[in-house]
Amino acid sequence: MGSAWTVIKEILRGSAITARHFFVNMTFHTLRLFGLRTARRGAVTVQYPEEAKPLGPRHRSLHRLRPRPDGRPSCVACMLCVTVCPSECLTVEAAEDPDPEVQKVPARFVVDLNRCCFCGLCVEACPVDAIRMDTGEIRLAALDRKALEVRLDKP
Amino acid sequence: MSAPKTVRLTIDGRAVEADAGTNVLRAAEKAGIAIPHFCFHPGLDVEGSCRMCLVEIEGLPKLELACSTVVREGLAVRTTTERVRRARRDVLEFLLAEHPLDCPICDKAGECRLQDYYDLHGRHPGRMLEPRESRAKKVPIGRGLILDRERCVLCTRCVRFLRQVTGTGELGVFERALRSEIGIFDGTPVDNRYAGNLVDICPVGAITSEDFRFRTRAWFLTRRPSICPHCSRGCAVSVESRAGYPLAEGERRVYRIAARENPAVNGFWMCDLGREGRRDIEAGRLSVPLRQGRPDPGLSWTEAAGEAAAAIGRIPAGERGEKTAVVLNGRLTCEELARARASFVDGLGCRNIFFADSRPGRADGPLLTAERTPNLRGAVAAGFSPRLPDLGELAAARVLLVFGSRLAEHHGGPELARALSGGPRTFLFAAHAGPLDGLAEMAVPVAVPAEKSGTYINIDGLAQAFDRSLEPAPGGPAEGAVLEALARGLGLDRGGGDGR
Amino acid sequence: MAADVLIVLAKAVLAMTWTLLLALFLTWVERKESAVMQDRIGANRASIFGLRLFGLFQPFADAIKMFFKEDFVPSFARKPLHWLAPAVSFFCVSVTMIAVPFGDAIRLFGRRIPLQVADLDAAVLFVLAMLGLGVYGILTGGWASANRFGLIGSLRGAAQLISYEVALGLSLVGLIMVFPSLRLSRIVEYQGGLLFGVLPKWGIFLQPLGFAVFFLAGLAETKRVPFDLPEGESEIIGFYTEYSGLKFGLFMFTDFLEVIVFAALAATLFFGGWQVPWLGDGGFVFPWGGRIAAAPWAVTVLRVLSFNLKVLFFCWLQILVRWTYPRLRYDQVMDLGWKVLVPAGAFNILATGLVLAVR
Ligand code: SF4
Ligand code: SF4
Ligand code: SF4
Ligand code: FES
Repeated sequence: MGSAWTVIKEILRGSAITARHFFVNMTFHTLRLFGLRTARRGAVTVQYPEEAKPLGPRHRSLHRLRPRPDGRPSCVACMLCVTVCPSECLTVEAAEDPDPEVQKVPARFVVDLNRCCFCGLCVEACPVDAIRMDTGEIRLAALDRKALEVRLDKP
Repeated sequence: MSAPKTVRLTIDGRAVEADAGTNVLRAAEKAGIAIPHFCFHPGLDVEGSCRMCLVEIEGLPKLELACSTVVREGLAVRTTTERVRRARRDVLEFLLAEHPLDCPICDKAGECRLQDYYDLHGRHPGRMLEPRESRAKKVPIGRGLILDRERCVLCTRCVRFLRQVTGTGELGVFERALRSEIGIFDGTPVDNRYAGNLVDICPVGAITSEDFRFRTRAWFLTRRPSICPHCSRGCAVSVESRAGYPLAEGERRVYRIAARENPAVNGFWMCDLGREGRRDIEAGRLSVPLRQGRPDPGLSWTEAAGEAAAAIGRIPAGERGEKTAVVLNGRLTCEELARARASFVDGLGCRNIFFADSRPGRADGPLLTAERTPNLRGAVAAGFSPRLPDLGELAAARVLLVFGSRLAEHHGGPELARALSGGPRTFLFAAHAGPLDGLAEMAVPVAVPAEKSGTYINIDGLAQAFDRSLEPAPGGPAEGAVLEALARGLGLDRGGGDGR
Repeated sequence: MAADVLIVLAKAVLAMTWTLLLALFLTWVERKESAVMQDRIGANRASIFGLRLFGLFQPFADAIKMFFKEDFVPSFARKPLHWLAPAVSFFCVSVTMIAVPFGDAIRLFGRRIPLQVADLDAAVLFVLAMLGLGVYGILTGGWASANRFGLIGSLRGAAQLISYEVALGLSLVGLIMVFPSLRLSRIVEYQGGLLFGVLPKWGIFLQPLGFAVFFLAGLAETKRVPFDLPEGESEIIGFYTEYSGLKFGLFMFTDFLEVIVFAALAATLFFGGWQVPWLGDGGFVFPWGGRIAAAPWAVTVLRVLSFNLKVLFFCWLQILVRWTYPRLRYDQVMDLGWKVLVPAGAFNILATGLVLAVR
């Protein structure tokens, strides 16, 4: 009998909590509807395409190759990112650079976003800090798989 | 020759037996104790310039060089003491103090001794505050070789190789002390057919080859042993290929061919012709079967072999030996040649068996022979007497089976076309494309030697078995399979083969 | 005579329209209410020419989608029955609304028109019977899909509904003993009186235990969370697995109709139906003295409004419950039905009988 009371009490308490949320939120919604901007809002929802949350400083978004001072990518085509990438989504083709101090540059640097799992290991692996995932570009959808094979060496 | 005298010594407390005259480094290596070294190379004279191989020898106050200390009875060597380890670390620190941080763009990375030794014996933090010395980083020294003086550790392996093995001596050490550097003498670049070995023996990435440069990284490569098929020396090589994802468009299948150690044949070296065999595997291959000169992807080699056998079968039984001609080549393995002999000579009684191979070149240096065929000795051993056919002999046949594309090297295309038009029904089984493709009724691609297994007999009569080092392209069988199918089609297969 | 028929037809159409519109509206309410409860916003994107109106168009968007979705019938299904099942469900539930009084009566052109489609003699029994028949929709649905999971789901549903039917029936017996009639109109009229001269004489005050049993059993009858074992959309598979498009929509819609029907019944039976506390035909008469006169049309409007408000409140409450509690386990459902509600209903009858006898 005691336990039955506990059950009933908890059931009522549950309803009370949800009802409280309902009425409190409704109050704020109504105030807002009548033009009263309260600090607290009735919902925590972020209306995404119109308003976006700022991305965290360590958020991993679309890759980019950091440029050298002259604008060319600073990647030296060492293929360490290719080696470390668990999704095998990077393709780097190296080319000879006339400058003997540079020597090796990427002729083609493709990240296949169809496969990328955004683990960020490529960023960790890069010995010259050339590849980064800080573009903040997160709207990476396309109707065509080919469009998701992004060339990073060409702007 | 009497058995070489052996001496007994102890290395790290282990009793070791070594041939008299070898050095401590080799003796330790044989016993499974690795002593780090740069300048010592078993194929070259001892130089003792890198100081990496320092070991402690009982009774001697200073550390000694393992490479230049000859084993003596009762020698007690220690390679793991604190002193030795310190010495190694210090030598490495000196070497690396002037070394560029080039590993990301260095072709040697992944198989570089400096990297390996730093990982095993160094692990010291960098103490250099001064800017590193900069030197010429891209010096062409001839034959597609590029020297990077910053990476060079001055082991002089390259200099010694060119003096002691090829005897050409194009490279030398110039300047003195801190300014010493490797270089060529004015106007005389490295130019010999063994220059490719410099890339193999350079313990770091100072000498790189233009052909391989930047193409891939060493750790992506799969190395499988094979025998070089480009002359009758039969050097041991390793075929370094890359399989699997991601194989970008235009990517190579075989990245390079390097020498493998075989004291009985080539020691540690191979010639550049063999290295260039990389192209032989990839370029100019016959990729699609042809029917009457037109590509026909639907034509399978089994169909072609069946058709050829049927064509022979249509010749009246008494004339088959007379009216069938077969052109073999010296790239066939002993096994394939034996099968060919069993089918054509013993089975059909065919007397028109010829061989067509690359024209001989010039013998050069210690390895390269004039004969540019790996297995002519094997052909002789199988009971053939190889000779080129003349056009009349070919035209007289009713069915002509050609293995290999080299026939066209000896007879011009137009003459061949004249001889074969209206003459025999021709079936071609070749790895490479050539003028013959268009003349044959059917032409199907087959494997190159790297894609098959078998035995070659080299110029000294040494039989060497090898295994396939590359997966053949689908639908590109070894000639052995074709010969087997032919024998089956002719009703000559008496259960001899392995049934495949 | 013809006028009578016309009037009944008109009332039927009105009642149907009211029910269907309310059900449509409820789909929106459900989305919005659950959202507000959970600090969210809820569907708000459906718009007509940029007019969003809090997502009020969402139900229409949903309906249009349902219409144009592929109506997939498995090749192995029993096709006629597969078609019939949602129709049966829909019909049995919506037809109960004809017995519910929306208000008292209006005078129009010298006629007295009760605001009720049909004032049935045995309305309570009719309603119970129709709700009971709804089980056939579920059973045929599960069986006609020829899907084992569907069949098992429908069996679960049938077992559950039949169990709660008993409790539902028992909970109403006490009520009928207090208001000696099976006519819903009469029951509502009885509730117009006063209890102890102050309280409106509503069923809830006379039959609190009866209401508790009725409410729980009714929730189970609507087979929504926490009693959604027949369907179990989130993990176990239910009887309309093989339904899609319009027919699936019909099943979903029936769920909302059940919510409305149950709310209407609760309001009618236990909360005075269209009665407004202390409002008589002539206006308000408060027990503490004082009265407010009201015109007859105003009284009628107030009463219809009162009924609607009560229905809306119960709809709201049901949605609140649905979004608060997790699903019961099947044995718990059965235990609650047979070991708690049925005995409680029986006890309620006994107690009511005793009180009535003593008085
Ligand atoms: S984020 Fe991870 S998966 Fe994506 S490219 Fe980099 S390493 Fe590969
Ligand atoms: S991005 Fe960095 S790790 Fe990747 S190839 Fe370029 S330099 Fe190497
Ligand atoms: S030689 Fe070795 S250590 Fe030097 S850059 Fe090349 S890989 Fe790195
Ligand atoms: S290996 Fe002994 S000094 Fe270089």
